[in-house]
Amino acid sequence: MAYASTSDIKQGFKIKVDGQPYLVTGNEFVKPGKGQAFNRIRLKHILTGRVIEKTFKSGDKFELADVNETEMRLLYTDQDGAIFMDDKTFEQVNMPFDQIGDHRRWLKDDLVFGIIFYNGNPVSIEPPTFIELKITETSPGIRGDTASGRVMKPAILETGAEVQVPIFVNEGEIVRIDTRTGDYDSRVS
Amino acid sequence: MKGKLSESIPEPETMTHASLNVLQDRANMLSKARLFFSKRNVMEVDCPILSSTASVDAHIDLIYSESSQVYLHSSPEYGMKKLLAGGSGDIFQLSHVFRAGEFGDKHRPEFMMTEWYRCGFSYEQMIEETCAFIQLFVGALPITTLSYQEAFIKYAGLDPLHDELDVPVHDGVQTRDDILNILLSLKVEPHLGKEGLTVITHYPATQCALAKTDMVDGELVAKRFEVYYKGLELANGYDELTNSVEQRQRFIEANELRKKMGKDPLPIDDEFLDILDSVPDCSGVAVGFDRLMMLRHKTHKITDVIV
Repeated sequence: MAYASTSDIKQGFKIKVDGQPYLVTGNEFVKPGKGQAFNRIRLKHILTGRVIEKTFKSGDKFELADVNETEMRLLYTDQDGAIFMDDKTFEQVNMPFDQIGDHRRWLKDDLVFGIIFYNGNPVSIEPPTFIELKITETSPGIRGDTASGRVMKPAILETGAEVQVPIFVNEGEIVRIDTRTGDYDSRVS
Repeated sequence: MKGKLSESIPEPETMTHASLNVLQDRANMLSKARLFFSKRNVMEVDCPILSSTASVDAHIDLIYSESSQVYLHSSPEYGMKKLLAGGSGDIFQLSHVFRAGEFGDKHRPEFMMTEWYRCGFSYEQMIEETCAFIQLFVGALPITTLSYQEAFIKYAGLDPLHDELDVPVHDGVQTRDDILNILLSLKVEPHLGKEGLTVITHYPATQCALAKTDMVDGELVAKRFEVYYKGLELANGYDELTNSVEQRQRFIEANELRKKMGKDPLPIDDEFLDILDSVPDCSGVAVGFDRLMMLRHKTHKITDVIV
């Protein structure tokens, strides 16, 4: 098994703490002049996304978590979940919706997602940062109010996601959405 | 734990305008520091950086050269005390010091220390002079003094000398002092020196290192002080212990603690202990020169001021 100590660990490392897999998002070395050195490590739980901060003695070692991300294309969704395929190996995985969680609203056939594997099993998905989706339902666009730009109205997208879009955008148009925040980015067509 | 020499060799870099500024300001401040001491009749000395014996601290790891069997000093303290015992009078040293494994925004394994000793100076006089030296770098800021106990009560909401301690440290810490040090760093230090310099006095006797201990208000405390500005630890000073029996005992305890932590014990400098009783009553302090430069150049990264 591979290990890393507090001095090796950098942002992006995936480690196990209390048997749980975490992504390292920050690591600060702290040492009072005559005192013991320690590290404040910020961690994001790989399955739940919960962010925590923990204090470790400098030199403590961690088991590296067996976490990998593979790009896979969404083939289709059925009643229980989504089926992804690796374009290179044609390997398919079946992800139930409860593992996909909030990202379910970004599931569009034929898009490539990051599939996170923990100990060889698919555990969660990462949607592309920006995603282009068609508006299936919104109130009619109002012309002449584009200058203010930021007057928004609700819209439903082809994947079922509910987002806020500027009032000048119409049903049937394609918009670019930031999946990290769920915010409208721009109009595509 | 022993470090390797190669850890501390920096990569060559092209000099930027900013680093040239810092270089010029460092030169300027080095000469101001020397002037500060010469005005006060404190003599500059240049004790060796290499030694076959070590300074013994539970939490300071030294850089060791296997091939030459020497340590790089973590402070010129022992050498300077040997000079004091020989009758040097007041002395200061500006030199690079070395500590294995200390990498962080505020830490490098090689950094510059200003260290000085004043014969016959009281604890209070030493605090006053240390603040005057720091003010050379950061301006005539107001000074607040808090005891270690007062600082903890004020900012961490607990009494460090009496309360039971509980802190969410992942992997068991060794001692009560370790917990106090973590609380100091996380809860107390960020509040210190917000408006001016903050002096912390009277440390727990268990954190005395090379300081005398004394009964103050019925508590045994160490006559040690630290100075902070903007949350940054700048100075560590003592009313110096000159009792070799007590000092040897502290070294043995520090080595015991090192063994418990799985570190190599360090060889005790018997020559140092032999002369310690001849060191005149004095106070001494070490001030991190690079951290003062960080404050002058308003940066949080020590690497910005090391050129």
